[in-house]
Amino acid sequence: MSDRYDGSSIDLEKALTRYMVERRVTRRYLLERIALVGGAAALGPVIAACTSAGQSASPSAAATPGASAPESVAPTATPEPTPVPTPEGELNILNWTDYLAEEVVKSFEDKYKVKVTPSYFSTTDEMYAKLGDDGGDYDISFPISVDVPNMIEKGTIAKLDKSLITNIGNLGKEWSDPGYDPGNTYTVPYMWWTTGVGYDPARITGDAPTSSKALWDARWKQHISMLDDWQEVFGLTLIQMGKSANTDNTADLDAALALLEQQKPLVRTYSTDTIGTMTSGDIWIGHIWGADRFAIQETIPAFAYYIPEEGGVKGSDTVATFTGSPHPIAAQLFINHLLDAQNSAANTNFIYYMGPNAAAKEFIDPAILEDPTINPDQAIVDKLEELLALEQSVRDEYLKRWQELRG
Amino acid sequence: MAGAPGLTGAPREAAGPTSAATSSKGPGRLARLRGAALILPGAGWLVLFFVVPLVFIFIVSLGSRDALDRVTLANPGFDNYLKAFEPRFIPTFLNSIRFAAITTIVSLAIGYPIAYWISRYGGRHKVLLIILVMIPFWTSYLIRTYSWIILLRDNGVVNTLLQAVGLTHEPIILMNTDISVILGMTYGFLPFAILPLFVSIDRLDPNLVAAGRDLYASGRQAFRHVTLPLTMPGIIAAALLTFIPALGDFVTPDLLGGPQTTTIAKNIQELFLAGRDWPYGAALGFVLMVVTLGGTLLALRTLRREVIGGE
Repeated sequence: MSDRYDGSSIDLEKALTRYMVERRVTRRYLLERIALVGGAAALGPVIAACTSAGQSASPSAAATPGASAPESVAPTATPEPTPVPTPEGELNILNWTDYLAEEVVKSFEDKYKVKVTPSYFSTTDEMYAKLGDDGGDYDISFPISVDVPNMIEKGTIAKLDKSLITNIGNLGKEWSDPGYDPGNTYTVPYMWWTTGVGYDPARITGDAPTSSKALWDARWKQHISMLDDWQEVFGLTLIQMGKSANTDNTADLDAALALLEQQKPLVRTYSTDTIGTMTSGDIWIGHIWGADRFAIQETIPAFAYYIPEEGGVKGSDTVATFTGSPHPIAAQLFINHLLDAQNSAANTNFIYYMGPNAAAKEFIDPAILEDPTINPDQAIVDKLEELLALEQSVRDEYLKRWQELRG
Repeated sequence: MAGAPGLTGAPREAAGPTSAATSSKGPGRLARLRGAALILPGAGWLVLFFVVPLVFIFIVSLGSRDALDRVTLANPGFDNYLKAFEPRFIPTFLNSIRFAAITTIVSLAIGYPIAYWISRYGGRHKVLLIILVMIPFWTSYLIRTYSWIILLRDNGVVNTLLQAVGLTHEPIILMNTDISVILGMTYGFLPFAILPLFVSIDRLDPNLVAAGRDLYASGRQAFRHVTLPLTMPGIIAAALLTFIPALGDFVTPDLLGGPQTTTIAKNIQELFLAGRDWPYGAALGFVLMVVTLGGTLLALRTLRREVIGGE
């Protein structure tokens, strides 16, 4: 009997974990949707305005990568003074689906005469399982920045050969020394996104909210949701208080907990299924992963998203190569290739995420650049903070308070 | 573990004729060996999938984490057990007990009449009706739980209906409440209650009830003094089969519940995943396991002595 209890709970736990991870991953999964639907819904008018000049009447979002293509005809400005070592003839990439523009792969294959073999995963668990302790048979993959310190310590990620990564200077200054990998010694950032507040304008009447304090507004009682993610929830609250989202100061954490306890009676649910709760009409305003808005906009076209004026949480994926990489030179050259301004822009135009590449901006689709939720003003960018892998004892302090809040 | 009368009863019955057949041929020793051989698969299953994991959990619970969150047994001790009794787990533990208890009571209250009806009036459709009880299992638990969201959300089926009929003007908040959690859990665990109830009611000899009626018992008295005591093993089995998994459930409260419905199982899951503290999570899980097991054995013992009169 108890074996039945045990068995079923493990089954459910697995199912739930899978479900949670997949939900978190939806933002990637949605990329194709963004191009098809979200683009039309959110950016349609802007894109239409930009592309109506010479483009055919084909779906506007789909046409945008093409729109930037003519500009990329300009000769590559990347100088290569030192002779580049000959890369191995192959490169194995492990990636999310639709997370790398095809033209970028093609130009790499043509330039270095390397055959690129892509493989795909659909959850982070799957990625880390396939990579194992030394990268398996893969040369390139895209770990989430929070996981990078652990992978470096375990000896999974290989150090970059900066002599081959000549484009590293293209990175924006806020990306040149990230907390998860100081000096970009092992990884380079790939794409980044934000966590913020999303709301249904039909329900949230009056002035458009700009602060995360809107999530503490008693007018929306029982229609407010927070993510079921301790680090995101404390991150938002700490930033609202003007503190670091990664603070290790327990007094700050106590103050954040007190704020969250105040908020709790107003909260309908702590859930990562924001797509479900928003589209069902139960939640009017909620703490959401920025990219989930595109899926919500399929149901609620007017659905709005903002990064709180106090600042917000950003997340990022990195590009890394591994200690067991079968084609190390090709891998380093590929990382360098991704850092090229035009290639980085081509990826942004395809994925609808901003890259960390300052030099890429001039090649990015104006529609993306003009969307403050994808490409916020520098003043806001300066206030974005990345969630870091916290030290064990600090993490325990967060989790303890999180469980007190939820109890 | 195998304390459920419904479960131990069935194999005993199955083993009966076999041993009877062999005893006519030779002495009991061979029969006993055969009996042991028959138990092997079941016992092996229990050891492999219950005892071994339990021992594993216990060992992990004595360990600690290294800097990379890996489990290490370098300094084994009971520190995690001290931390397992921290006060923040009390509300979630009480939530678990409350939800499991209500789910069990409601399941029995709904399940007994259903099982009784199928057994007494199902006739040649009995099997079909039992299959109908089982059919929900063919669909993933998550999907079935999700369908409750479609029913209960603010613009869901129930609220739309209530408003159409004019009972309310504003949607009533059903989702993310105790009600939604209890509905979802009762729905999920009801078949666990119906099956053992059906077995015990179906095995009840109708002549015994008829005899009671012959002795001038009213229908109600016959039920209270004949049917109910004789089906008590089934009721106990049903209660255990519902209560125990319900106690460990966190999917339903997580998907259908709100800020007030966190359960202890969710805390354990968080210690494993978010906290990456396997030893701590294992200790809390082990405590829950011991409490469940101890409570079950105690309940069984008391019930057997008082209700069944020492079986």
